[in-house]
Amino acid sequence: MGSVLIEQLRKDFSGLTVLQDINLDIKEGEFFALLGPSGCGKTTTMRCIAGFETPTSGTIKIGDKNVANLAPNERNCGMVFQSYALFPHMNVFDNVAYSLNIKELKKSNFFKKAGVYTRMLNSKIVKYPQHIERKVMDILEYVELTEHAKKLTSELSGGQQQRVALARALVMEPEVLLMDEPLSNLDLKLRHTMRNTIRRIQQDLKITTIFVTHDQEEAMSMADRIAVMKDGKILQVGTPTDLYSNPNTPFIADFVGTSNILSGKVVGSEKGETIVQIGNQQIKSSAQTDKKDVQVIIRPENINVLNGAPDNFGNSFEGTIHLATYLGSIVRYDVRVGEHQLLIDTTYESGDSIKKNGSTIRLGVSPERVLLI
Amino acid sequence: MNKFKQNFMGLGLIKLLIYGFFLLFLIIPLLSVFLVAFTDEPINVFGSLVSWEQMQITIDQLKNATLDNFKAMFTYGSYFRGLINSLKLSLIVSLWVLIICIPIAYGIARTKMPFKRTISALCTVPLVIPTFISAYAFIIMFGRSGWVTYIYEKMGGEGMLIDPYSMTGIAIVQIFFFFPYALWPMVAAFKISDISLEEASRNMGSRGWLTFITVTFPLALPGMLSTLLVIFAVSFSDFGTPIILAPNDLNLIVVDAYREISGFFNWGGAAILTVIMIAVAGVVYWLQNYLLKDKNYDVLSGKPKQVKLNKNKALTIPLTIFSGIVVLIPILAMITVFLQSIATTWGRDPLPSGYTFDHYRTIFTSSLGNIQNSLVLAGGALILSAVIATFVSYFVVRQRSTTLDFMTTIPLIVPGIAFGIALIQTFNTAPLQLTGTALILIIAYSIRRLPYMVRSTVGTMRAIKQDIEEAAVSLGASTLTAATTVVGPLMLPGIAAGSILVFVTVIKETSVSILMAPAEWAPMSLAIFQNVLRAEYYSAAAMSVILVIIVLVLQAIANKLSGGNKSHE
Repeated sequence: MGSVLIEQLRKDFSGLTVLQDINLDIKEGEFFALLGPSGCGKTTTMRCIAGFETPTSGTIKIGDKNVANLAPNERNCGMVFQSYALFPHMNVFDNVAYSLNIKELKKSNFFKKAGVYTRMLNSKIVKYPQHIERKVMDILEYVELTEHAKKLTSELSGGQQQRVALARALVMEPEVLLMDEPLSNLDLKLRHTMRNTIRRIQQDLKITTIFVTHDQEEAMSMADRIAVMKDGKILQVGTPTDLYSNPNTPFIADFVGTSNILSGKVVGSEKGETIVQIGNQQIKSSAQTDKKDVQVIIRPENINVLNGAPDNFGNSFEGTIHLATYLGSIVRYDVRVGEHQLLIDTTYESGDSIKKNGSTIRLGVSPERVLLI
Repeated sequence: MNKFKQNFMGLGLIKLLIYGFFLLFLIIPLLSVFLVAFTDEPINVFGSLVSWEQMQITIDQLKNATLDNFKAMFTYGSYFRGLINSLKLSLIVSLWVLIICIPIAYGIARTKMPFKRTISALCTVPLVIPTFISAYAFIIMFGRSGWVTYIYEKMGGEGMLIDPYSMTGIAIVQIFFFFPYALWPMVAAFKISDISLEEASRNMGSRGWLTFITVTFPLALPGMLSTLLVIFAVSFSDFGTPIILAPNDLNLIVVDAYREISGFFNWGGAAILTVIMIAVAGVVYWLQNYLLKDKNYDVLSGKPKQVKLNKNKALTIPLTIFSGIVVLIPILAMITVFLQSIATTWGRDPLPSGYTFDHYRTIFTSSLGNIQNSLVLAGGALILSAVIATFVSYFVVRQRSTTLDFMTTIPLIVPGIAFGIALIQTFNTAPLQLTGTALILIIAYSIRRLPYMVRSTVGTMRAIKQDIEEAAVSLGASTLTAATTVVGPLMLPGIAAGSILVFVTVIKETSVSILMAPAEWAPMSLAIFQNVLRAEYYSAAAMSVILVIIVLVLQAIANKLSGGNKSHE
């Protein structure tokens, strides 16, 4: 198992810079997600680690080894492709055994080599040795595919194919496991199951895993740490809770969860709290800033509806409900405050009444929950 | 240097070799034939590269270059007559093919005419038969002692119904054996032209036939023009029919070129004819691309809609009868060849006077060598083109090599006889004296059929996603191992289908075989040709039947392979 260290990685494609200033320090055994919208460079970053793209500049270290001069087949990076990329002419067992065959091929003498080659073309002619047989069956048992070993991959369901791809990558005992949008081809329900499966396996084997996704929920629920990328740059690296509670850009505030983002001007400070003017409203924040023009960020669940309760939140306003959306455990209100629009999430318990559109409510936000960027 | 780069060097070396192959056997011969048209004598390109003396000679030759050949070409003479006759022939053939195909294509695409399936199936028969065999079949049908002539005379006619040894004879053979090339594209054009436009026309009060003339037909027109050009090119490049049927006083450019080189060793004359042939074929090819690119193809690219098939008996029965007659003629020709092959003697009678398998016995004792030669040459061409096509498709698909893509389309344009002449001239002398060897024959076959092979392998290569190759590499395989254990096996069906196609077309090949094959390597097609020239019709017939059977069997296997491949995906 290895750590991955990336320094000043840059990648140009025919004059176009698709990656720049990429610095990452991924620790041994960490589950690390590269999160961002499509075209942000997350897949290119992963392909640079795997060796399928050659960086324009910068260094990549896996373990203590600089991999700049290593071909993709020498990097020992297990990779799970978005399309799974299973070999369609081989059965499940042969697919999983592929890397073990390759290892045999490297060690053997000429005649043994010929045998292994023949086996890779047709495993019915040359049998697998015991140690490969056992290793493949062990990993197949681990991903619960024992009874499908002799099936062609096209006969399997999407979830099973996914597990074959995972088993095939794991059996080579890679230093790093790379996964490129591995869940995007699965339906919603299966995706949730696979999330748990992948997380369980990762923690069991303590294998350093880098996971590319555009789905923030996926990243938040699985990863130890997340790097959010946009336009070929890394915007922020942190734990899911870090990113959620302290986003460093409005983009992340919006991309990771939902946020109310308002532009305002700092007009002064009072008892350690910053006062920001937004339109004709003033709001207090416990965040400190040197800037004059700021983005004010408030999460929908941090705005409270004061059903006649005393106003001890520090900030309070009056608003009109424009639209109420019932989402099961929560109700989301779209509220007009002055000329601004705010989203507010309130927990819903059975028996609660949902407020009517057009009704007026009082809202409270504590200054600690008001972020300034 | 790291291993990844080494692998790349390996592939890069192969790419370089392939470029070298095309340069040596395609580009340089074509350029050299162009130069010979000016120098009037063969130039030794490779000799000039290795010897300074030869270089001097070549430079002198180039200094003394004249435009005499070009003048000879365009002042009224036999060359010019040959060109005009060939153009006339191709125009006549393509127009008649169009006229014949319109009703059949309409019948297949838009009506419920009786026996539609049978007729469609029989329409593929002419494609299987090499044209020199069809031409020869016409001789034994329409010739002086043919059964058609017999019936014609019994019915009161005098002489021959059609003289096969004439422009008309050549045109008729080409029309009836080339029409399937136009039929299927036209069926497709009729099937996908927008039915709602026709309905609109009818809705405005136009009658059925008026709708056809004013709407359906004009909509299918661009497609038809492009198929007309296809037939024009096929007819213009065809060597098998004219070499058998053209009388001595009829100049046709392909025959003239052949006679200049193999009869008179007139290098300059052959070269100028070759240059003109390539120029005409090039213009036709360009026109065809131009048509396909710039015409409005909205209609043709539209989604096919449910077509209401015409059931009107007054229309469908005449259509069936017409189509039946058209497909009957090639079939009758083949039956005639078969009857001749098992006839003891067949004089001026409707049927042979007796039957025997002696001719087959003769072939299997005395001409087995020709069959062997055909199989060995076709096998060689198969292996060479399979290897080249596999790598070319890799470079075209994975590395987007447009140069290689372009190079593999050149043989599509260059007529066989022109290519043969170019090769003979270029490899006539030391240091690379290959003319008259089996090797140059195999190379010529491979290059000529490479486009078909490449089309097949590029298709399969495109179907293999890059991911799959990368997966193998990420699992530790070198690019070479990944290619042999993953990409190779996945490409196998495409390579197999393409290989059989190459094999079949090489066995059918006429122009290159007749022009270039040395006596000790004479393939079946050359043997049949020589037998026909010697008027040994019975053994020619038996050999033709064997050839057609080989072709039919292999074609069936190829269809099965490519069909099985599709269902696998």
